Amino acid sequence: MKRLSSVFSVLIVAAMLLAACGAPATEAPAAEAPAAEAPAAEAPAAGKTVLDVWSFTNEILTMAVAFEGKHPDVDVVYTMIPMTNGEYQTKLMATLGTPDVPDVVALEAAFVKQYVESDFLADLTDLMTYANELKMFPFVYETASDDGVVKGYSYQATPGGLFYRRSLAKEYFGTDDPAAIQDILGDMDKYIAAAEVVKEKSGGNTFMVASGGDFHNLFYANRANPWVVDGKLTVDPQVEAMIATSKLFRDSGFEARATQWQEGWFAGMNGTLTDAAGNPKQIFTYFLPTWGLPYVLAPNAKSADGSSDTTGDWALIPGPMAYQWGGTWVGVMKDSDKQDLAKEFVKFVALDEENLTNWATGVYTNDFLKAIDPAVPEGQSQAAGDFIGSQVVAEKLVPLFDDSAMSSFMGGQNFYKQWIAAAPRVNARLFQGSDDAIQRALNDPMSSYLEGTITYDEMWQLWKDAVRNEFPDLIIE
Amino acid sequence: MLRKKTFKLNYGYVFIAPFVIGFLLFGLYPVYNTLALSFTNTTMLTRKDDFVGLDNFIRLFSDKTFLTAVTNTWELWLMNFIPQLGIAMLLAVWFTNVRLKIKGVGIWRLLFFMPNLLMPAAIAALYFSLFSYYGPVNQLMVRGGVYSEAIDFIRNKEVMRGLVVFIQWWMWFGWTAIILMAAMSSISLSLYEAAVIDGARDFQVFRYVTMPLIKPVMIYILVTSLVGGMQMFDIPYLLTDGRGSPANSILTNTIMMYMRFRSNEGHIGASSAIGVMIFIMTSIVALLIFFLLRDKEPKAVKEKEI
Repeated sequence: MKRLSSVFSVLIVAAMLLAACGAPATEAPAAEAPAAEAPAAEAPAAGKTVLDVWSFTNEILTMAVAFEGKHPDVDVVYTMIPMTNGEYQTKLMATLGTPDVPDVVALEAAFVKQYVESDFLADLTDLMTYANELKMFPFVYETASDDGVVKGYSYQATPGGLFYRRSLAKEYFGTDDPAAIQDILGDMDKYIAAAEVVKEKSGGNTFMVASGGDFHNLFYANRANPWVVDGKLTVDPQVEAMIATSKLFRDSGFEARATQWQEGWFAGMNGTLTDAAGNPKQIFTYFLPTWGLPYVLAPNAKSADGSSDTTGDWALIPGPMAYQWGGTWVGVMKDSDKQDLAKEFVKFVALDEENLTNWATGVYTNDFLKAIDPAVPEGQSQAAGDFIGSQVVAEKLVPLFDDSAMSSFMGGQNFYKQWIAAAPRVNARLFQGSDDAIQRALNDPMSSYLEGTITYDEMWQLWKDAVRNEFPDLIIE
Repeated sequence: MLRKKTFKLNYGYVFIAPFVIGFLLFGLYPVYNTLALSFTNTTMLTRKDDFVGLDNFIRLFSDKTFLTAVTNTWELWLMNFIPQLGIAMLLAVWFTNVRLKIKGVGIWRLLFFMPNLLMPAAIAALYFSLFSYYGPVNQLMVRGGVYSEAIDFIRNKEVMRGLVVFIQWWMWFGWTAIILMAAMSSISLSLYEAAVIDGARDFQVFRYVTMPLIKPVMIYILVTSLVGGMQMFDIPYLLTDGRGSPANSILTNTIMMYMRFRSNEGHIGASSAIGVMIFIMTSIVALLIFFLLRDKEPKAVKEKEI
């Protein structure tokens, strides 16, 4: 009896082992996951054509409701899965080739290109007529193009700029005029020279930038070669320049050593950054794109206890180099059986003048949306100020932002005008699906190198190992 | 009579059916599927799935990263498991000791077990902000004069490894202690009394009465911890950038597996190969544990006793 029971316990433990080991490696659990997400989507209404839309934020829900307003026979079933830790990407990947695949998908800058390069998105090149009519900024559709085939469009353009504190500019450079400051910070050498001045004049109490990671995008955007050339991993001189600049900033104490999206980085925005000993520190500049203004800078300009407020103390200039950061594209899944309707949706979201105007000018209030669909969640709305992808529409909107809440935040500056100047300078032709993973793989070796724990050569070796680990087919020398 | 017996037998099958079906479907099939996938170059974002033989495994072993991940996993597990078992054992012995009669056992047990109920995501976020460059640890230490300038703990290999080991220990020692206490309190008191009357000291009681009688539970703890340890994921994944940073110091097997799955094409073939390796490694060690802790009752001894 004893032997029998021990045989059983071995079997049971073995079974648990099998179950525990096997599960994570297979796609089965992942494929089931979207079903569990179902409660996030509203139930489809009877007698209407259902359009399945997946996104990683609530932004597009606003336009989905507006779309229903224009097409009363359509019910847009909207599924929101957050992008935290890649949840959205994982779930979307798991539906590929299955009947659960959505009709329309939102794709973020980090992974839009990998879908565009894949065989799963429908060809939307024929919508280019509308894009040309509205003069869509070239990098917006270039990002979503593969070999001349356009597979996605975006309602927004996300060029980046340089935000600086006016009061600190006056203190160190004698002026806060954007044109004059642009002359002082107009290229990377000037930016470095200015960092020296800021450090000297502030006695080391003001940092040029919160985190060296802030200017990585600038260097990546101005490379001459993509990461992968003929299947081979290539390092562009701009990447080397980026590392050299980061090292200089770290060693000379030009950066506050904060981490992007962490406490110290946000504290610098409202002037409450203090070092470990309790000494107050200031941050002079932040590199942020269009969405960085309403979603990052403005909400963090006031400290939690209200004691410090930098509202009105900011100005925006093109900065040392043109770049873009983030952005949401919408595409149609090839396996969707509602191609025409899905295409219509994409056209409405990204290429419809009226929708774009409403989107950027704050027409889509909660009341507006509730009038179309009473089930719209409380607080769902779109405030004015998002920078849109169409040059034609954007230029029409400029005067509206001469005097708005956001322009008073910017010390009276019309930020919309700045974005219009910045957007055509952005180039997205080198963008590849593997960029995000390759660049991420560089972050950790680079910070160890900046920290001084590994050598320059060890850094490249670690990076190559990490890239090799993720890209089995890539030639790495 | 015979008829009744067969009826009973069939009835039994019905009772075990849910487990067997569940096991075949959710236990055996995934393992089979993982094994099958590991010999292919299947990716999620392309429609290819060709048989590539042992290519995935050859790549795995030609690449230092996998060996780093395996060593890390073993080190991180052993460094937290050995103290975890030691402390849990000590606590269990104290709390079940009749002579010590510690008061409020229930409250202590609850306190020890509490960390296990917390969400790993919350714990990882908590420790990340505690130890970040602008975090409270640096503030306290610098203002208290322990050291003069803030330290970038998040970028320090040893500190991050130490944190993972500590968090894993902290989360799991209570669980181990409770299982051990349950095992110890099920041992008949008369055995202890007899040992004490025979003049056994505390350590002798532990060595010759407690230890042999809790062996089945020990096997259970060792094997489940091994399985859990080989699949250590959440804390090291969430604590830094999800890639085992700094410098791969907390990169574990499963993080590496997930990274391959999450890579831009979703290489599930290549990540299955890692899954298969974890499975083989865990199975061998688990069998070894069973073998080493098997009932050693050679006949010769028994005969001598008689």
